[in-house]
Amino acid sequence: MTTTAPTAPTAEPRTERLAITREGGRMIADYWEDLFVARESGRKIVWYNGGALNPMFQAAGLAWCHGEAFAARLAAQRLEGPAQLAGAEYGYNAELCSYSRTHLGCAVLTLKGSEEPDSGVVGLHDRADLAAKLPAPDLFVNNYAGCSTGQQWDEVSYRVFGKNVPIFNVSHPFLWGNRPDAGYLVGSEWDEASRYVRDQLVELIDFLEVQTGRPFDYDALSESMTYIKRAGELRREGLDLCKATPAPATFWDWISCIAPINFLPGNQALVDYFQNVKDEIQQRIDAGISGVRDEKYRLYFDGIMNWNKLGFLSRKFAEHGAAVLAGRYIQNAFWQEPHLIDTSDPLLGMAQHYLLCPTNHGSKTLDHLTLRDCESYGIDGIVFHSTRTCRAFTGPQRLLARSARDNLGIPSIFFEGDVADASFYKEEILDSRLVAMLEAIDVARERGDHRRAGRGAEVAWPA
Amino acid sequence: MPESAALQRLRDAARDPRAYVAQWRAHHPGCFVVGVMPMNFPREIALAAGVLPVYVQDDQRPVAEGRAYLPEFYCGYTRNLADQAATGRLDHFDALLLADHCIQLLGASDVARAIGDRPVFFGMLISSLSDSWAEKKIAEMMGHFRAEFEKLSGAPVEDEALALAIEAYNADRQLLRRVFDERAAGDTTWSPVELQDMVVSAQVMDPVEHHDLLVEALAAAPRGERDDRVRVHLSGHLCHAPRRELLEVIEETGAVVVDDDLWSGRRYVQSLVPFTPGEDPMSAIGRWYAERNVDLPCPTRVQHDVDWDAWLIDATRRSGAEVVVHLMPKFCEPHMLFYPELRKALDAAGIPQLLVETEHEGIPLEALRTRLEALVERAVRHRPAYA
Repeated sequence: MTTTAPTAPTAEPRTERLAITREGGRMIADYWEDLFVARESGRKIVWYNGGALNPMFQAAGLAWCHGEAFAARLAAQRLEGPAQLAGAEYGYNAELCSYSRTHLGCAVLTLKGSEEPDSGVVGLHDRADLAAKLPAPDLFVNNYAGCSTGQQWDEVSYRVFGKNVPIFNVSHPFLWGNRPDAGYLVGSEWDEASRYVRDQLVELIDFLEVQTGRPFDYDALSESMTYIKRAGELRREGLDLCKATPAPATFWDWISCIAPINFLPGNQALVDYFQNVKDEIQQRIDAGISGVRDEKYRLYFDGIMNWNKLGFLSRKFAEHGAAVLAGRYIQNAFWQEPHLIDTSDPLLGMAQHYLLCPTNHGSKTLDHLTLRDCESYGIDGIVFHSTRTCRAFTGPQRLLARSARDNLGIPSIFFEGDVADASFYKEEILDSRLVAMLEAIDVARERGDHRRAGRGAEVAWPA
Repeated sequence: MPESAALQRLRDAARDPRAYVAQWRAHHPGCFVVGVMPMNFPREIALAAGVLPVYVQDDQRPVAEGRAYLPEFYCGYTRNLADQAATGRLDHFDALLLADHCIQLLGASDVARAIGDRPVFFGMLISSLSDSWAEKKIAEMMGHFRAEFEKLSGAPVEDEALALAIEAYNADRQLLRRVFDERAAGDTTWSPVELQDMVVSAQVMDPVEHHDLLVEALAAAPRGERDDRVRVHLSGHLCHAPRRELLEVIEETGAVVVDDDLWSGRRYVQSLVPFTPGEDPMSAIGRWYAERNVDLPCPTRVQHDVDWDAWLIDATRRSGAEVVVHLMPKFCEPHMLFYPELRKALDAAGIPQLLVETEHEGIPLEALRTRLEALVERAVRHRPAYA
């Protein structure tokens, strides 16, 4: 008899989120509030998409807005509606990448708000909605790897603003793996692509110097990247701690830590934050506290985040004793290879991280990474978030599911949702498929079929 | 008037590329045939290596086994490609190659690589064409393609062979473009389906063979002046052909298609390789790619001073088109992103327009007919009254 559903309603949820993430939330809120008044404090504002260029902007003395991050924030706060409505009225189809649709809707709102040009904050009529508070850009920089839509999105933003805002594009070769020596972080394609993107970053610095009217501060870049490298190392160490059984923290905790590592300034506060994250995880291990009470299943989550449902999904999986531990969007993104960064000359390592966007690999490399992480975290099953408007993340998912089944005996399910459009989320599909997969894992364990049950069948569960 | 045998052969090649490839192989034993993906593949390099490069078409069969490999919210063309890969319908190719960074096309190509046993080579042409380093990167990638075909054929690709290949494709495209220009000027009576067959067959066939058949077909063609039906410009479908029944219903509503910017139409034929004998053919092929977006802008390219919307309005003025019908394949993100810019510009120019979101299967033709009839009626009402 399998018992995958919650045995009885409990007053307390089974999820034990990291307390430190509340501090991260405060840091993020402060960052956005600072951005909203950046123009009033005399700073120029850059809108950018794709890889984390914020250290460059920090060194150039700019205020920065990461388009995807702003769209994600709106969705997480359920404030995406006005921007998406503005985008729809402008003509954007509902099947278009909802990050871009939300962000372009913000651009439309921003333009409407330019009727109040002296305020520095646009859309005063909609001040209650965060979407309308985004300050208009002084420049665009596109740094999108993997998804072809990314570069086109910023080009359209440039056109929405009447071609009056300077724009710079960084082009990224897709790491397809043509040559026999191609692989993760190795091979001549990797080396050539790394140098190519690095050279474009040098061009970007020239562009920033023209836009800001002052020399670029290389020392400031090195300093910022020193902090970011250290934060990245601490993040990796914290992730490694989560391989413990039961896991002291979950994928959802790490999702809450994305914003700090993705776009907060490189400084001591960032390092302190990730030190605290790691310390709390270690304390939990020492105290025997797990991220999900009575952890029974260890799952991998593939797909970009469903920002509308972050807390909800966290609780839903925990109700079943399912600890979601790892995922492409966490283990394989966001300064995930800090050893590549030479802080005295950080451009090459930065370029390499931009290339390491988790949608910029052919399925051969993604397969290698997914199997590696499933093995090292003792994964029992994979949940694929079939992200409706993100073709970049979803493209290889079916191949990955087949490989996990064939090579590790790991079952998987797919559920539909989206990054920033709640209307695509299918609750019943997730419910029924999750229960079915967990039951299948139970059955395989009862049969002693370690291969079908995943690695988790080999560990002893808490009494 | 009965259809010419030449036109029938072009239509056969367009609608059954596999049969054409089989025939070609029979006449060229030991030679390679590669499938190339749209939209900007330098086929001249392949031909110069003695390889037949065939643009892989949407074969319009329902997606069945392909559903297991790509999600339903990928465009119909890429899901069809995955289906072709899953059911062995790409097996007539010795290799697959692509040059364009479209994430959905890459997804389908990755499926073909994962479940097939043929090489799948991706040489990514830079899409940000305003960059000062674009020319250098284009030249580098064209060099990679040359090396790849030398590896495949086992022999060097000579400049003389490149020059001949360029001339062959240029002659074919030039003749096709003449047909499109004549249609835009009101001099021909080709239907959009007939023109689509001419272009798609060019994307499939050996260019010399295609050119000869096209000459024959055109010689046998009736010509007539344009009548007073409402003149339509078809816009969109950037990388594969719209379904034929869709084109037919447009003209059944009392309209006549006078121009287009479709992949299976003017978009394919608009640019010739700017080659003059004696110069470096590889350099000319690089310029062909760089200038294609200027000759007919594409929303998959980033080029700040090139505007599809402006090109579209100019095109309607050249052809006298009264309305524009946007054919947007469902889930085509570059088209979805750029469509509002087109809509704004056409509205400002006072040109009526209709957006048709096309599906791979199950086009609601009667509902579409009603919308098209309304568009035609609107255009008629906009016509100035005779004095």
